[in-house]
Amino acid sequence: MTIFLASVGFGLVTASVLAIAAVGFTLQFGVTDVLNLAYGAVMIAGAYLAYLLNSHGVNIWIAMIVAVVVCSAGSVLLNAGVYSPFQRRGTAPITMVIVSLGMTLIIEFGVQAAAGGTSVSYTMSQGPSVRADGFTLTAVQFAVIGLSLVVMAGTHVLLRYTRLGKAMRATAANRNLARNCGIRTGRVITATWAITGALCGLAGVVFAMDAGSFGATSTDLFLVLILAATFLGGPGQAYGAMLGAVIIGLATEVSAAYITPDYKYVIAFVALLVMLGVRPTGLLGKAVG
Amino acid sequence: MLAERTSRGVPLRATGVTAGYGGDPVIRNITVHADPGEVVSLVGANGSGKSTFLKSLVGVVRVSTGTVVVGETDMTRKAPEEVARAGVGYVPQVDDVFAPLTVRENLEMGGYLLPSRQVRTRIDEVTAVFPRLGAMLSRAAGKLSGGERKMLAMGRVLMLQPSAFLLDEPTANLAPAIARTLLEEHVRSLAGSGASVLVVEQRARAVLAISDRTYVLAGGEVRMQGTPAELAASPAFVESFLGGTVTR
Amino acid sequence: MNSYYLINLLIYAAVDAMACLGLSQQFGVAGVTNFGFIIFQAAGGYTAAILALPSDSANGGFQSYIGGWDLPFPIPWIGAAVVGGLIALPFTFLVGRRLRGDFAAVGLLVTAVLLNLLVTNYRPVLNGDAGLSLIPQPLLREGSRQSAGYEWLFTVGALVVCAAVYLFVRRITESPYGRSLRAMRDNDIVADSLGKNLLSLRTAMLVTGGAIAGLSGGILVSYITTWSPAAWGYAETVVLFAAVIIGGAGNHRGAILGAILVPVGFEEITRYIPTSNNLPPNLIPSLQWVAIGLLIVVFLWFRPQGVLPERKRVIRASLLGPPASLAPAAPGGTDPASPAAAGTAVAGAAPLAPVPAASAVPRPAAPRPAETAPRGGEVVLQAADVVREFGGLRAVAGVSLSVRRGTLTGLIGPNGAGKSTLLAMLAGTLPVSSGRISYQGQDVTSLPAYRRARLGLIRTFQLASEFKKLTVMENLLSSVPGNRGDSLRGAAAGPRYWRGDENAAIVGATALLERFGLEAHANSYAGDLSGGQRRMVEIMRALMAKPRVLLLDEPMAGVHPSLARKIGGELVALAAGGLTVLMVEHELAIMDEFCDPVVAMAEGAVLAQGTMAELRRRSDVVEAYLVG
Repeated sequence: MTIFLASVGFGLVTASVLAIAAVGFTLQFGVTDVLNLAYGAVMIAGAYLAYLLNSHGVNIWIAMIVAVVVCSAGSVLLNAGVYSPFQRRGTAPITMVIVSLGMTLIIEFGVQAAAGGTSVSYTMSQGPSVRADGFTLTAVQFAVIGLSLVVMAGTHVLLRYTRLGKAMRATAANRNLARNCGIRTGRVITATWAITGALCGLAGVVFAMDAGSFGATSTDLFLVLILAATFLGGPGQAYGAMLGAVIIGLATEVSAAYITPDYKYVIAFVALLVMLGVRPTGLLGKAVG
Repeated sequence: MLAERTSRGVPLRATGVTAGYGGDPVIRNITVHADPGEVVSLVGANGSGKSTFLKSLVGVVRVSTGTVVVGETDMTRKAPEEVARAGVGYVPQVDDVFAPLTVRENLEMGGYLLPSRQVRTRIDEVTAVFPRLGAMLSRAAGKLSGGERKMLAMGRVLMLQPSAFLLDEPTANLAPAIARTLLEEHVRSLAGSGASVLVVEQRARAVLAISDRTYVLAGGEVRMQGTPAELAASPAFVESFLGGTVTR
Repeated sequence: MNSYYLINLLIYAAVDAMACLGLSQQFGVAGVTNFGFIIFQAAGGYTAAILALPSDSANGGFQSYIGGWDLPFPIPWIGAAVVGGLIALPFTFLVGRRLRGDFAAVGLLVTAVLLNLLVTNYRPVLNGDAGLSLIPQPLLREGSRQSAGYEWLFTVGALVVCAAVYLFVRRITESPYGRSLRAMRDNDIVADSLGKNLLSLRTAMLVTGGAIAGLSGGILVSYITTWSPAAWGYAETVVLFAAVIIGGAGNHRGAILGAILVPVGFEEITRYIPTSNNLPPNLIPSLQWVAIGLLIVVFLWFRPQGVLPERKRVIRASLLGPPASLAPAAPGGTDPASPAAAGTAVAGAAPLAPVPAASAVPRPAAPRPAETAPRGGEVVLQAADVVREFGGLRAVAGVSLSVRRGTLTGLIGPNGAGKSTLLAMLAGTLPVSSGRISYQGQDVTSLPAYRRARLGLIRTFQLASEFKKLTVMENLLSSVPGNRGDSLRGAAAGPRYWRGDENAAIVGATALLERFGLEAHANSYAGDLSGGQRRMVEIMRALMAKPRVLLLDEPMAGVHPSLARKIGGELVALAAGGLTVLMVEHELAIMDEFCDPVVAMAEGAVLAQGTMAELRRRSDVVEAYLVG
């Protein structure tokens, strides 16, 4: 039981990081139809930026805010400068994936070139721990869970109750019709990338906090989890991403307690392939007729 | 019938419009106008360019030569969202609703440009026009029947009280009885409230009954124009439409 | 220059070129985007290692599975190729189904990432992270160091294998089978409707590409004598893709060029960058990766076709030899045993099977069929209570329809009547929600489109569906059934095997082009023609498929009226010879002139059936559709 509870604890933290990341990823896809595989690279860039500030004495939480802002701006540039021009040209989706892989290389190894190949970690206090029957979480981990709850609630409010959120959903559902309603979809898309880019930066920093030490290629495997959560919930569905994150996060950590930890990603792998093969629209999406 | 408030109708003038999808032009030198309070229809066989013409007016298809003026403003080659903001309401033939959104949210999208406190009132007014929509506000638009979808599509456009309405084959996929109601009651009353209405239809007879003037398109050009009475009396009308003779 | 350096360079060039050729075949020619490509090379590498390691070696012991023999030389390499091919089979589920291309690619990428992870972490399997080492080199006593002569021999061997792979993929690509692959790449739904079995084609590509990748892995392992997960991360796949894209996807020489420029060229350039101790050790490799990423994006933007773009295949009937006589030949199609080349003999046996006489002179329009009694022979195509429902809407609501042999049946109705949907269900490109479709007396309701096409039920599409990167001639040739070269085995057997069939098809296609007046464009890319011309290419392509029943979806859209008449005349002539045509059209004048009977649909149901004149007299048809 203690092992189980402990793994549930870890699972909740993983699920939290995953939720923040997956919501951003899936919204990028939903609104712009781009599978941005460079998402993981932007995450780690954000993590490194925070580290840069942190290693010069800035408090990690403040550094995190800076990283969020920079990743937000960077993501807007990524779409405006790279993805959008290719899309306007009528580039096929598969070629867009290759473009995003190219961007992954540029960003990820650009970070590695600038920052070096050794692993780094943040200088921060983990804060007091809460222990209960094997379930151990530090204050920081609680903070991460809290952050993800805020993000999920905020996303819900954004999409359901704000004008921008509704415009995002309209643009995702039918871009031409949205324009006929007078919605300036160009701006909606920019705003979407700004918001999801911020989520990406946030996810990168909390990922690094949770991982302890990290390097430029640390998010390569995490991207697989993001993809699994996205496709489990349905690509483009924000609520699906949240659901997928919880399932994948818990499943990987709990399974790690019982199988060798090195294989915990296998669950995500199998889930992803099964969803792609059986129901690509995800659990919350509609089945294709 | 439609609500009390009169839209500030403005005339719609397309002059010498030539447009296409990049390659040979699909429509050539089309001159059409609709004045406030008028229902003007565009008929023609499939492939005659009617839909393409409407799309060129709203900026979905690129106009290569010619001008489009709405009221005082030159709308040629403006982006669709700017055309909408200038007071032109466009109901496309397909993909005419936001399928994953509810009926209420569809209407809210239609009222996107309105101040938020007005949106609620407008929704009430639009559902007064289409009571069936009022009963289904929480249903996803993708689950509506054909007729209900069209009503929602028109309701969405009504939210902004446009000064000009462009309707692309509003009765396609509708049963004849519903089609007739749609045209005779709703489309006719759009003009009744003062707006200019341009309707593209394949069901020529039905739309002629409610039109003030009609243009006949064939092969991407305007072949004939006139009042429904003038056209019905002309044998050339049937021929340009059908390529044959019709016996009643 | 240091000869070891040159040897190293050449061997890597050979191995990378092989891998790129396999990828070019899969991705450039067939359009199968396999982001897990590296898995197959890895599998080949491990297999070769296992098969070469003697049973008593320190980290071997695998040989004990195989009876403890020391396996002689070619077996490790052969095993590598075989395993590389077999490993492809489980992945076919990702490419066979109608999954969005980018989703399928992601699935393969993820698989590569995770397999690497699994092997890295699981020691018992393939020695985990440390990998296998001290792998004996071919034909050499283990432990004895190589002489320069041996190294050169190995190099030559690797280059020979690479050349063989090049010749093989070229042979596959420059065959009717290769043409079918390219057609699938350009428009898979249309290829399906013309009788190509997409699943089988894609599986074949995964397996052959996998085998080639495996072979390249085996050779590499034999040279570097060690193999571990570090050598085959997913990033290696990206490098190979970059190489193929930059060199020129779809051009095999481009693949080789790409291999030289990217994996090899890159490594070499970095040798010449001056290093200094002030630079962090990781900097150059990291910058290499950044540069590869930049190259990918820049090339895809400025020159997506690559340095050596795919060549146009020019086919001229004149190259076949003296022009064939146009004497009418017996019906029954081409004679597969006809001798190669020199367009002799039965060149007049045009692929238009139902037509007894091949003629190059356009026929005048046939007399109006409107006045004759119920036409046609036996019922050849039938729909019984067919329904198509989607998302709560009934596009087709219980339609029953019989089409008789030798008739030109028209299908009319306003937008949304369900005509195209019905046609798609008859052809098999859309499944029925309920009801039955029978063809030639056989229930084909659950038969996929490509099988119906092979039985002679061919359709065209409403929207432009020519194979854009194939020439007009290639488009016509792509649909010819029964060409011996249109299978992997046939293609591998070489041109001599399928030349006869191909020449006969070319002659038939040329005759057809002349009949429709497009012979001047035979070697233009189909995508470059005007709208009306592309329509005609589609119709001709459908005719080349030896149809018994032809389902045409708005064939005259965008076609000049006089040309439309000509096409109509041709169809009537073909119908007289036994071809059956069902045609959806909006041009009612065409219906008047050529079609009898005409079926009128509205709102998903059949309203009436008769001649056009009869239909115009019916008020319900008029009401639904015509102005009155």
